[in-house]
Amino acid sequence: MAPPGSLQTLLSPAELSFLHSSLSLQPPIRPDLRKSTQFRPLTAETDILPTTNGSARICYNDGTEAIVGVKAELEKTATQGRAKVDAETMDDVEEGNEHAGFQRRVTKAANSWLETSVEVPGFRDDDSLPIFLGALITEALLSSGTLQDKLWINERWHWKLYIDVLLLSPPLSYPLPLLSLTTHMALLSTSLPRLISEPSDDPLFDDDWAAAVPLYAKDAHGEYTARPPATLLVMTVGTNILFDPSKDELAVAESVIAVSFIPRSDRAASSVDDAMKIVAVRMVDPPSRLTPPGIPDAVNPATLSASAPAPQSSVNQEALSSAVKGSVWNPPRGGMKRSLLAQIVKMVTQSGGVGEEVLEGLAGVET
Amino acid sequence: MRDLRLSLNQTQKVRLEAALEELQELSSSAASAIVTVAETIPVNHEDGVLKGHGTTELNGEVVATLCGVVERVNKLVYVRALRARYKPEVGDIIVGRVVEIAPKRWRIEINFSQDAILMLSAMNLPDGIQRRRTAVDELNMRSIFGENDVVSAEVRGLQHDGSLQLQARSQKYGKLERGQLITVSPYLVKRRKQHFHHLEQYGIDLVLGCNGFIWVGEHVEAQENAMTEDQESETEENKKPNKKSMTLEEQERTYTPFQTRQNICRIANAVRVLSALGFCLTVEVIIDTAEASASLNIDIKDMLGAEFYVLTAEREVQRRKSIKKGG
Repeated sequence: MAPPGSLQTLLSPAELSFLHSSLSLQPPIRPDLRKSTQFRPLTAETDILPTTNGSARICYNDGTEAIVGVKAELEKTATQGRAKVDAETMDDVEEGNEHAGFQRRVTKAANSWLETSVEVPGFRDDDSLPIFLGALITEALLSSGTLQDKLWINERWHWKLYIDVLLLSPPLSYPLPLLSLTTHMALLSTSLPRLISEPSDDPLFDDDWAAAVPLYAKDAHGEYTARPPATLLVMTVGTNILFDPSKDELAVAESVIAVSFIPRSDRAASSVDDAMKIVAVRMVDPPSRLTPPGIPDAVNPATLSASAPAPQSSVNQEALSSAVKGSVWNPPRGGMKRSLLAQIVKMVTQSGGVGEEVLEGLAGVET
Repeated sequence: MRDLRLSLNQTQKVRLEAALEELQELSSSAASAIVTVAETIPVNHEDGVLKGHGTTELNGEVVATLCGVVERVNKLVYVRALRARYKPEVGDIIVGRVVEIAPKRWRIEINFSQDAILMLSAMNLPDGIQRRRTAVDELNMRSIFGENDVVSAEVRGLQHDGSLQLQARSQKYGKLERGQLITVSPYLVKRRKQHFHHLEQYGIDLVLGCNGFIWVGEHVEAQENAMTEDQESETEENKKPNKKSMTLEEQERTYTPFQTRQNICRIANAVRVLSALGFCLTVEVIIDTAEASASLNIDIKDMLGAEFYVLTAEREVQRRKSIKKGG
């Protein structure tokens, strides 16, 4: 799972215990007093790299910053002697609303058409952190199932998409949501050159970049018909669920989970009133597992003499040790309760929930 | 403004710029001894000049090699860099984090070029008794301060090899618990008479470490009083069963009221806002900012929002103007 070594927060057991008790209050008191579903303020911009098909940059107030560039390359599909698609079906596919054509594409698209690389300063590219982050981002993109189909040109040709994720600052907090949201923005701004040749011919493209076709098209109301997935980090303390945890908060997390979601495309048709659909979920090993436990005063030789004169009986001693055990920090053990997991999923997916809020927020900063 | 990354709307941007410009005007008239790299420092060559840190000679002129403030001590001219690591002076109160426990000493990270050293012999033992440190004490060092503990101490002196010695010979120094540590640039904290502040209206302690480590935590009564009380009541206590008093104490030790926790966050957010704007952190300004946020009915969670940054900048302009008028 996620390598915690480098992300280890240095907090003393006393601070951890204080933070943990603050976060487990009702309502939780976070170090910067955000609400449990509130996100840290961020600034974002898109189309910053001129030679890429799409790019984005997001930075948080604390100085963590990420850049994502999306580069598309034409690639020949390895043929396996498939039947040629007749022109009629192709036209339908071009319009993008024909179900049969859509199904056809799904079978042809391959996961290898997407390549993601994550670079984190201070880490080699074969270190486990960049690989784990890259896998999480790719997994969400692929499992949403719509991205690969958009790369299909015809039987013999397809686009290959290279997504380069670059974290510019040292990873102050677990950078997954930052990287994922930046990737999301970059993909939204990605355009591919317009095809001017016949669909079944070898592809020929329009030189005019202004005429390029956006990868994620907008409908008449200026809303995206589909969106790439976004991944959020959610942590729990007791029964509290906290979104977008900061580094310090992660240090006392009882469990951490990465949730990837996309907007539901069949929202109108289905009876369920969820705005989002979960495409991937991963448990993340929280750095809190490796924090040092606190020593209760009663068994601490430095404070023993001051705070507690030696107990007379062994019974007393036992009662003492069990009583003080809860008062000091102990690294959390075990996983997440099912009810909590269900609650998180609900909070993310429901209409007006966190997922919708995040995507709306990102739409707001697109400039 | 390196650290400041805000999503401001147009009016907020204009207001912030206006405020910062005004601040610049106010300060430029006072002291304009700020230099950037390769800037010539005006000196009187006839007096003979001693070139100190951050300066070099180029074509017969003294030129700055750092960005910072020109300081002159008699013939010596040097540049004190802003945005650099902490430069300790004897007697500074610092807050640091223990990184390592070595024989007879703790190594403490204080944002200096190397780790500071706190000798076991340079601190009061928890029982408050002055005596020789024994091998047992040495074995128990980890129970006094463990790794990652936040401690406050005083700079005792610099060794010849450049290493920094600390001391903690008073009960006011020691481990800091139940609160938040915020790190800011060291130049924002000026040396003053008082670095330990008890903000009574909030029930919290504020320790402004000269090294830019700022501790905001729940108020703890000075240990010395507790110590004497302990000794007085010791005979009584011994008769009673210990269990009850012990657990009560433990509860008290761990229980921090909701309000205090919120206050800690409010003060911490005030420190964050001020440091992001690059304003000096004195206890008055911090309290003022916290009170402003309370009186303006700004939720603590909104204190890190763009609007409050602009408001704080504007308040600072007002404050400096009033100081100027008064002076």
